Amino acid sequence: MNLKDITADRLVSLYRNKDLSVTEVITSVFDEIERTDKNVRAFITLCRDRALDEARRTDAKIAAGEPLDSLAGVPVAIKDNMCLRDVPTTCGSKILKGYTPPYTATAVERLRGAGAIVVGKTNLDEFAMGSSTENSGFFVTKNPHNLDRVPGGSSGGSAAAVAAGMALIGLGSDTGGSIRTPASFCGVVGLKPTYGRVSRYGLVAFASSLDQIGPFAKTVRECAQALQAIGGFDHYDSTSADTAMDDLSGNLDRPLNGLRIGIPREYFIEGMDSEVKSSIQRAIGVYETLGCAIEEISLPHTEYAIATYYLIATAEASSNLARYDGVRYGLREGASGGLSEMYQKTRMAGFGGEVKRRILLGTYALSAGYYDAYYLKALKVRTLILRDFQKAFERVDFILTPTSPTVAFKIGEKTSDPLAMYLADVFTITCNLAGLPGISIPCGVNSEGLPIGLQLLANHFQEGLLLQAAHHFEKTQG
Amino acid sequence: MRISEADVAYVAKLANLEVPEDEMKQLAEQLSRIVEYVEQLNKLDVAAIEPTPQVVTTVRHAVREDRVVARTGSSEAGKTVKLFKVPKVITER
Repeated sequence: MNLKDITADRLVSLYRNKDLSVTEVITSVFDEIERTDKNVRAFITLCRDRALDEARRTDAKIAAGEPLDSLAGVPVAIKDNMCLRDVPTTCGSKILKGYTPPYTATAVERLRGAGAIVVGKTNLDEFAMGSSTENSGFFVTKNPHNLDRVPGGSSGGSAAAVAAGMALIGLGSDTGGSIRTPASFCGVVGLKPTYGRVSRYGLVAFASSLDQIGPFAKTVRECAQALQAIGGFDHYDSTSADTAMDDLSGNLDRPLNGLRIGIPREYFIEGMDSEVKSSIQRAIGVYETLGCAIEEISLPHTEYAIATYYLIATAEASSNLARYDGVRYGLREGASGGLSEMYQKTRMAGFGGEVKRRILLGTYALSAGYYDAYYLKALKVRTLILRDFQKAFERVDFILTPTSPTVAFKIGEKTSDPLAMYLADVFTITCNLAGLPGISIPCGVNSEGLPIGLQLLANHFQEGLLLQAAHHFEKTQG
Repeated sequence: MRISEADVAYVAKLANLEVPEDEMKQLAEQLSRIVEYVEQLNKLDVAAIEPTPQVVTTVRHAVREDRVVARTGSSEAGKTVKLFKVPKVITER
């Protein structure tokens, strides 16, 4: 059985009817991983033994006639910056070498609580800092559609695992586009929920005012099911929002008649790939035929988003990553030389180039004499970006843009120029700064067969609307 | 603003990073390019704008009751080992 041909809800119904056993499916998933992952390289750690144990337990439940949970026996892949008890968490960094968490992240625990089976932990840009998964401290993950191309990042491992049929659902985290960009490049659906919607307890912090966990899947319905499982208030996360969640799957088929879609003129920039542009224009036409009203809108501060993001995210990262100093986690170097030497030697040996660059930039932006000029200014521009969206959402229900100005780029194409890599996030970053939910859905392929992604953004806590709009589009794509 | 190698060395010290001599020049150049890029924010007059450190949605800020709850992992740390061995961190100056 190939996971590419099946969805989570179909799989659970096959289990329920005893047409398939969970053990045979999970076994075949590991066979597929063995065949495929030597090329794609999505996984850092595989959880074969515990996954098969869980599969046998689920089969016993089915045999005993017990009711099945919504994601019972569904194979899932977890980005390796989320903790799963007794399994190493590396965050794609050598500095966490040897770190095994004694607890499980809330989002992962809830997914498992819905019956899902974790098959492995997936590769990422070190500490989620990157847009291509080339910045992993271990190896580069390849795009399953073309092994010479990047899968996008930073959650490239989870996106590639789902696209290559090695898991049905993936969990990623999105700080500036790290779910939506890889979803776009790998031709899958990726949802970044509202800031606060999904608990971050057990997620290794990168930029705390921006990070959010969300799902990948081949279909919108599976993303809805995954968010239903992982979302909601959690008292272990002080930023967790106490806002009720709709029946996400139940509302998918509601018609879109009369909904208003905003097309921000600032997002149709020069340098956008012409095939991406025409694909997005086609998608706009699809929404018109679905009964939506299309309106041009303006988000005038868009051009400042990347600068704002790279000040805020690096400032927060420099603070969050201060804890990796050889005392509590993983790697320890130079301990015989005393405290300062241990800190410096550990951090020098453990962090990769991009992480060091961002720590330096963030430290600079926060340092005496520069705080007002850089960090505080960025927080103020963030207010302007948020206001742009507030104004837009008075007129429209959601906003439609490309997810990325290009399709998946070639491995190595942007690694020598950090700024060029940052600019790849131009369409995804504003959503994080404003705390909004966003989704990327496949909207076609280019002449080389590389997937193109369509991004929809909605107001805070409107994931239901977003999924509904995405689902209707997906149905028109056959 | 240009970031000099001395700036890199100073910030590296603040960040507890040890930057090797041969990486200094390239880092100073890369950081200069990024800082010059982010300085486009100076085009905006934000004097009267409030900062947004976090987009506060509906976060439950109330102080909760202080009670003991079972929590996976919290009691595990000491189970497999009787003591934690830490490096010597106090040195004579």
